[in-house]
Amino acid sequence: MRIVAHPIIEDYQKGPLVQFLYNGETVEGHAGESIAAALRAMGVRIHRYTTKQHKPRGVFCAIGRCTDCVMVVNGVSNVRTCITPLEAGMTVQTQFGLKAGDGK
Amino acid sequence: MKRYELIVIGAGPSGLSAAIEAAEAGMQVVVFDENGRPGGQLFKQIHKFFGSKEHQAKVRGVRIGENLLAKAKDLGIHVILDATVLGIYKNKEVSVLIEDEVQNYKADAVIIATGAAENMIPFKGWDLPGVMGAGAAQTMMNIQGIRPGGKILMVGSGNVGLVVSFQLLQAGCEVAAIIDAAPRVGGYGVHASKVTRTGIPLYTSYTVIEAKGVDSVESAVIARVDECFQPIPGTEIELGVDTICIAVGLSPMSQLADNAGCQMEFAPGKGGNVPVLSETGETSIANVYCAGDVAGIEEASSAMIQGKIAAAAIARDLGYIDDIEFAEKKTAYAESLSKIRAGMFAPGNKGKVFEKTDEGFTISDSLLTKGYLSESELSAFPALDASGGTHIVIECTQNIPCDPCQDVCPAGCIIVGNTITQIPKLDKDKKCSGCGLCVGVCSGQAIFLVNDQYEDGYGTVGLPYEFLPLPAKGDVGKALDRSGAPVCDATVVEVRTNKAMDKTAMLVMKVPVDQLSSARFFKAAEGGN
Ligand SMILES: Cc1cc2nc3c(=O)[nH]c(=O)nc-3n(C[C@H](O)[C@H](O)[C@H](O)COP(=O)(O)OP(=O)(O)OC[C@H]3O[C@@H](n4cnc5c(N)ncnc54)[C@H](O)[C@@H]3O)c2cc1C
Ligand code: FES
Repeated sequence: MRIVAHPIIEDYQKGPLVQFLYNGETVEGHAGESIAAALRAMGVRIHRYTTKQHKPRGVFCAIGRCTDCVMVVNGVSNVRTCITPLEAGMTVQTQFGLKAGDGK
Repeated sequence: MKRYELIVIGAGPSGLSAAIEAAEAGMQVVVFDENGRPGGQLFKQIHKFFGSKEHQAKVRGVRIGENLLAKAKDLGIHVILDATVLGIYKNKEVSVLIEDEVQNYKADAVIIATGAAENMIPFKGWDLPGVMGAGAAQTMMNIQGIRPGGKILMVGSGNVGLVVSFQLLQAGCEVAAIIDAAPRVGGYGVHASKVTRTGIPLYTSYTVIEAKGVDSVESAVIARVDECFQPIPGTEIELGVDTICIAVGLSPMSQLADNAGCQMEFAPGKGGNVPVLSETGETSIANVYCAGDVAGIEEASSAMIQGKIAAAAIARDLGYIDDIEFAEKKTAYAESLSKIRAGMFAPGNKGKVFEKTDEGFTISDSLLTKGYLSESELSAFPALDASGGTHIVIECTQNIPCDPCQDVCPAGCIIVGNTITQIPKLDKDKKCSGCGLCVGVCSGQAIFLVNDQYEDGYGTVGLPYEFLPLPAKGDVGKALDRSGAPVCDATVVEVRTNKAMDKTAMLVMKVPVDQLSSARFFKAAEGGN
């Protein structure tokens, strides 16, 4: 899903590749890109499940307005992953209602 | 409480232009933006803008943004990011959420330049992962460098839907179709033609009725609509897509003005609820101004000028410029604004259907309903030079404010005139040198360089090309017509790039002479480059 060559954009000014934990698994992304971008690059589309109906939600606005992309980041719930930059060693978990789950 | 002379809310083109104008006059300015990156919408706009030289026409939006930021930095303007303005209170006190802490600021004047938010339409399954705003797709691909999906349905054929579809192709995504519930294409014909010639179908009078999928989008069901925009049973088509992008319009983000107590009005032509403004952008509250999309959905080009007018008015009120200087500025800005607000797609013409151009030419029905010109309808337009040898063909058939083609032609072949919405004409007495600069700079990618005397029985078509991999001389493939249908074999004979064309290449392909008037895009053979 990463764009390796683009006809107009020369450089996305990404930070170095770093490791982070996604639902307990060690994965990689670029420091400074949004957590959502790093997840999308790995093919992840589901960020959370709604409380009552357990319906999946993913990136919808990508600018921090709709809260569809919230996940549990470093143990904190409701973090908008589309505008939160990725840092080395972060733990990112699918959010179920208001709590973390294992992604299933 | 921190004090400034001017607080600007929003670091988009409008807010930054306002801040620059005010700082140049000598004022102390702070700009807040809730985003982690300044520039507002501009950094997603990697295409070339329309307008005249004074509006930075033919410059890509992202470059305009970079220039604004550099200027703001030179002037020492404080741009505070990740700072969400929560409210504007009495005496121009402003509360701002910065890193989980509410801070209070006070100023003599405030400019609200918060831009717009994307509209949404509900349909079955619209909340599945994979349904997203067109702006979200743009943020992912143009800022984050990630393809939002593999195969995409675009809902909406306004300029946003058309431009984002083109950008999705540039990012390497497949676009299955662009649909619009209206019977006509909403955006500029040239933006539509840019995508249809690559083979993307554009269906007018179609809407999306369902997003299907277990955990995320696996397909989209679209259906034809009747005159009342109701889906017609039996016309459903299921498209295998993993992403649905919604581009059904923008609404001004005017809540701050509303909550501050500014007098508001509902203006459908402006996109919704907007503050009532004076000529200079002042709201009903003295020294609280609005500029840009928040005051009515328009373009970055006009947002920048609105920002400057508001800042100049404030500079005058605070004594930084005198009445004479202000009057001069105001006249110049108003003139520039009226130029960019002209033409068929001007803010005042929203929803109007034009059948003829200002010059009296009949606008192509095919362009309005299918997104591409039909050859027979095109022949009515003046910029088709059929003379022997190398000549240009300009497929610009609507009155839009844009004239870089006229400026760039070294031989003076292209005439737009002073009214920049005029359809370009050719000066028959001037000789085209074949430089191809017009092909490369036209923001609508609507100019082609045709040579009908290349070889016995063959001619060449030079076309604008902005995709990767860039074909090379000798590559073979198919020539596609305006609808994207293959019409004949084609061989690339030249690929011209240069600085003036700013990453738009002119790809020259050889085709039989009888296809010169239909071949408008090159598709490399599978397996080849
Ligand atoms: C796909 C697409 C193509 C386009 N093509 C063109 C084109 O070719 N030519 C052209 O001229 N225009 C084009 N535009 C339009 C142009 O991008 C907008 O008109 C322009 O960006 C509006 O500028 P603005 O400064 O009013 O708002 P914006 O650019 O939206 O900036 C508003 C800023 O305010 C910030 N903000 C909002 N609320 C708050 C708050 N409470 N506190 C702090 N900050 C806040 C936002 O984060 C944002 O950065 C296009 C737009 C799109 C979507
Ligand atoms: S996708 Fe809307 S807040 Fe992140």
